[in-house]
Amino acid sequence: MTTTAAPGTQANTSQTSTGQSGAPRWRGGDNEPILEISDFSVVYRTGRGDVRAVDHVNLSLHAGEVVGLAGESGSGKSTLAYGSCRLLRPPALITGGRVVYRGRRLGTAVDILSRRPDELASLRWREIAIVFQSAMNALNPVLNVRDQILDVIEAHLQVSKDEAMQRLESLLDFVSIPRQRMKSYPHELSGGMRQRVMIAMAMATDPEIVIMDEPTTALDVVVQRDILAQIVELKERLSFAVLFITHDLSLLLELADRVAVMYAGKLVEIASAEEIHHEPAHPYTKGLLNSFPSLRGPRRELAGIPGTPPDLRNLPPGCPFLPRCMYGTAACHDIDMSLAKVATSADPEHVTACPFVLPGTPLPLRPAQGNGADAGAPQTEATGAQ
Amino acid sequence: MTAGEVTEPVQNGAAGIDSPAARRGPLTMEATSLYKDFKLSRTAVLSAVRDVSFNLYRGAVVGLVGESGSGKSTVAKLLAGQERLTAGEVRLNGQPVVLDNRRNFRQYKSEVQLVFQDPFSSLNPVHTVRYHLERPVKLHQRKRSKADVTPELRALMEQVHLTPADQFLAKYPHELSGGQRQRVSFARALAAQPSVLLADEPVSMLDVSIRLEMLNLLDDLRDRFQLALLYITHDIASARYFADEVLVMYAGQIVERGPAEELTQVPAHPYTQLLVSSAPDPDNIGSILRSGSKKTARNIDTTPRVTGACPFNPRCPFVQDRCRSEDPPLMRISSSRAAACWRLDVAAPQLLNQSKGEVAHEGLGGPLT
Repeated sequence: MTTTAAPGTQANTSQTSTGQSGAPRWRGGDNEPILEISDFSVVYRTGRGDVRAVDHVNLSLHAGEVVGLAGESGSGKSTLAYGSCRLLRPPALITGGRVVYRGRRLGTAVDILSRRPDELASLRWREIAIVFQSAMNALNPVLNVRDQILDVIEAHLQVSKDEAMQRLESLLDFVSIPRQRMKSYPHELSGGMRQRVMIAMAMATDPEIVIMDEPTTALDVVVQRDILAQIVELKERLSFAVLFITHDLSLLLELADRVAVMYAGKLVEIASAEEIHHEPAHPYTKGLLNSFPSLRGPRRELAGIPGTPPDLRNLPPGCPFLPRCMYGTAACHDIDMSLAKVATSADPEHVTACPFVLPGTPLPLRPAQGNGADAGAPQTEATGAQ
Repeated sequence: MTAGEVTEPVQNGAAGIDSPAARRGPLTMEATSLYKDFKLSRTAVLSAVRDVSFNLYRGAVVGLVGESGSGKSTVAKLLAGQERLTAGEVRLNGQPVVLDNRRNFRQYKSEVQLVFQDPFSSLNPVHTVRYHLERPVKLHQRKRSKADVTPELRALMEQVHLTPADQFLAKYPHELSGGQRQRVSFARALAAQPSVLLADEPVSMLDVSIRLEMLNLLDDLRDRFQLALLYITHDIASARYFADEVLVMYAGQIVERGPAEELTQVPAHPYTQLLVSSAPDPDNIGSILRSGSKKTARNIDTTPRVTGACPFNPRCPFVQDRCRSEDPPLMRISSSRAAACWRLDVAAPQLLNQSKGEVAHEGLGGPLT
């Protein structure tokens, strides 16, 4: 079962940018993605079999672009991001695929998966930086903010003490941390401040790609918005690409240029944020969009997604979303999960893994309501239908 | 500001407002001007909760919304009897709550139960689900024999949709998903057969796709057992859908209260307005988060709070001299809404115009006396 849409997807990428709110999404004339993940698979080796956390995934990231990776916990989104930088330890094992990085500073394409570990060290942080989810755990508790950031600068850049200091100060200004907080230790900072320090550290070496793993999940909405606005502003100024991982699709729709939706280790839909919002194709995306209460507009009837994600150790063939899908039919057992273009979509790159359900497909007539809270019911319901 | 001025509007904080929650059922719990101070050192005191009053009604949901550190969890702990009040009173079914001995405390606990945010740390990893549920059933329902307890456990598991019950009862917390763990937490709270359920961020640790299911379950339980529910959250959008009345807390005080739909659609207090405008909004085309937009980010204020001033004044776009020298009490906007702000005429003029006729005889925007 291989995903096939990837090469076509990448060739067309530059056309989509024009459809979107007029803003330039990546600079320069090169259409080649800065990071190209193709046919990438990761398993976790366990005593009870392999957990196929990432299964034949294709995803590309262009310079200056914000790509959102959405999915629930356990869907493999973090594994995909860390795996593509080879940051996973055993029992994780990369079983196939290619990850090509085309940094503008490097001049050549680099195959990350075939690099020696010492060669990787020069890529990490300098080229690809990561903002981790839990700033409290990611920061060193016995180093103050200044030493923490200086450590990064000195480890990855050849600069003098004075230059490092200057860089540190401008970084703190970037993320609006007052300079008098330089001597503060992580526990003396609020959650938002800690996250800002993490972002400053990620920016310290002027990377080309910043991977953000739920950077604002632990924060309040007001602080979250503040930090996201700051990230966007920095991105505009420094023109790095962002891979933004979150389970909050509503946030991605506002923030990202392109959104990739992941389920059970597979990408099920990729499209511009606009398309995902207005013309979602895959039933899982539709379900996600129908899961969060909105503040604005009339009160909608929320359905949510009943049931739980499948066990990735022994996935049955066909669509992994079938047991929870409102549209499921017997034919879903046989489909391969390759991404195909949505012909009716305004976005030429809009791809979905579901061959049966399209943006306009009406809901099937089924007593979908009522057993929404019962985790066991959809399973039996779906099997009963076949 | 004299002491008399502080306490007077507070006294009426709950009584002067018609709570939309009251329509659902009888009054169960009254919290009247709760105060909680934490001693940080010999000289420094943190006023975590100041002047908080509200009522809970059977079968109704009151949403308590605020950012972390605003004191919402402390309110839950005060109501649950896990923290001592510095001042104020809690009444349950009309009786003042006195927790002077273990017996009283246990009795109170069987009426008032708390559900915690983190289902990963609120269950003991070395015990099975059965153990977690057996204890409250034995303690609060006074069932001792296995023959009495087991059907009760099965019923609990079915109420929270963890079926087959026997299979789940034998499991340990690590064998369950986050959503399933939180279901066990709900079942544990229900085991005491409470009339009041205090849910402290019950879904914020769960995935977005599971949250709705859990909220629906909670709503179903509220309806079935006529629970008086306090729903504490930082997500004002979920409060819109789930709560009858919403209380917005900032720096230990309630700064705005009103019916959920009205309050979220036309917020009065500048802080509520900030909360609402900060919520992610896919339809927001000119969003500050979109590429190519100009920076309009606000700086979060971290200066320590000055007493005798509006706590929100350093962040408020409508700030005036009075806001820096006098702490506004909750002021009536309509029969069911109130906000603590001196500048409501500028912050929410449309609301005041609307209510002019309604409260003209009481003095527009006056303190609730």
